[in-house]
Amino acid sequence: MADIVSIGTGAESAWRLSAGRLRLIAFTALAAFMIAGPVAEQIFGVRTALLRSWTMFSAIGLGVIDASFEIRRPDGALVPLDRFEMLGAPRNGGLKWIQSREDLASVIKRLCAVAGQGADIRVRARLGIRGGWQTIHTDDQNACAD
Amino acid sequence: MIADWRNWRSASAWAARFVGWAVETEGSSRSSALIRIGLAMLFWSRWAGELLLYMDRSPAGLFLAANFFVATALLFIGYHSRAAAVWAGAVGLAMYYYFGFQLGREPWTHHHTYLLAVAALLIALTPCGRSYSLDRYLAVMHAERMGGPPPAERGNLWGLRLIVVQLSVLYFFAAFDKSNHAFLSGARLEQIFLWYYAGSDYPAGLAWPATMASVAVVALEYCLALGLPFRRSRRFLVVPGLAFHAILYLTLPVYTFSATMALLYLAYFDTDAVDEVIARLHGTGPAPTARGEVS
Repeated sequence: MADIVSIGTGAESAWRLSAGRLRLIAFTALAAFMIAGPVAEQIFGVRTALLRSWTMFSAIGLGVIDASFEIRRPDGALVPLDRFEMLGAPRNGGLKWIQSREDLASVIKRLCAVAGQGADIRVRARLGIRGGWQTIHTDDQNACAD
Repeated sequence: MIADWRNWRSASAWAARFVGWAVETEGSSRSSALIRIGLAMLFWSRWAGELLLYMDRSPAGLFLAANFFVATALLFIGYHSRAAAVWAGAVGLAMYYYFGFQLGREPWTHHHTYLLAVAALLIALTPCGRSYSLDRYLAVMHAERMGGPPPAERGNLWGLRLIVVQLSVLYFFAAFDKSNHAFLSGARLEQIFLWYYAGSDYPAGLAWPATMASVAVVALEYCLALGLPFRRSRRFLVVPGLAFHAILYLTLPVYTFSATMALLYLAYFDTDAVDEVIARLHGTGPAPTARGEVS
């Protein structure tokens, strides 16, 4: 502003005035563009590839399933069930990540098959969603009875 | 009426100070030059391996690779530095918009690629070629031939100010996006932890650390957004900010994002103060480009 309002005399001053004003206009336009991206998506819900919204890692972890398993012993007590040990699967293999509801149902089916007829396996599972965790399986019923 | 007049004068003075900071500050060109060199290296770090000539032998692929390597090499050595910065930034944006979004190379659509491209374009608005560059060498040689003093390593810093604005916008809206119950409760961090590390087995004792880390991340990002531009608060925020990016780099696939942010932190500092640090490192006393307080 200072060099905009303190106008000198002569062609050089006029040029400097113009350069300063142009720079201010460009600065304002570029800053407005920077702000427009996140405002458009995060406040007005407009999604476009042209603007960057800076919603980093906002989709990572969505769809992840947290599952825990228990099995009822003959004395009636429920104890934690290690699905890797029961299915003879490596801990860092494909069984580490249960990818979907269908995948969870498949794991339950395999566990029930290995546990044998009459087994009582309880499953608690929740799904990662944008709003937090959504319960998709409760342990109030025997999962093998489904 | 008098109060209104005082308010108007106060707002006017504030606006004048802001405009002075934004577009009128002149200072040492060494900070800009260091960022220019760092950006060229980050471009190579992120993409050089993917753009080697045998990787994509289609005309478009070869054209992209040729532009990428020539533009970034010129940016690195500082030959026609500002034009090279525009060229490198344009290549980065072409990779982001055309090859990323249009042709479906999904990793090229991530925020770290956009930040690199935009940073190159913004550094083109600085005197990034007046120091540590072939441009500088040629200018000094020319001055010697003419019997004059070497040109000053100084220039208008409005490009650095725009980098400051970009970083503050980035931090603010990164925090704003997380300012909801799902994130602050720790649930979103838990999900990310399970996604990358734990699989479908929720580790015992994760809930409290996740909640505390979530709140801390959001609070830190707001502080970085609003505090880093100001000298008084900056001194307390630079180390936490760099530590935050180091943790992100070690724990998540952020590619060049952390390194780019750390490099761009140079834009926050008074350029003449950076000059003095460089002079001290060289053991040469106050740098010849330093001319008192600038910002």
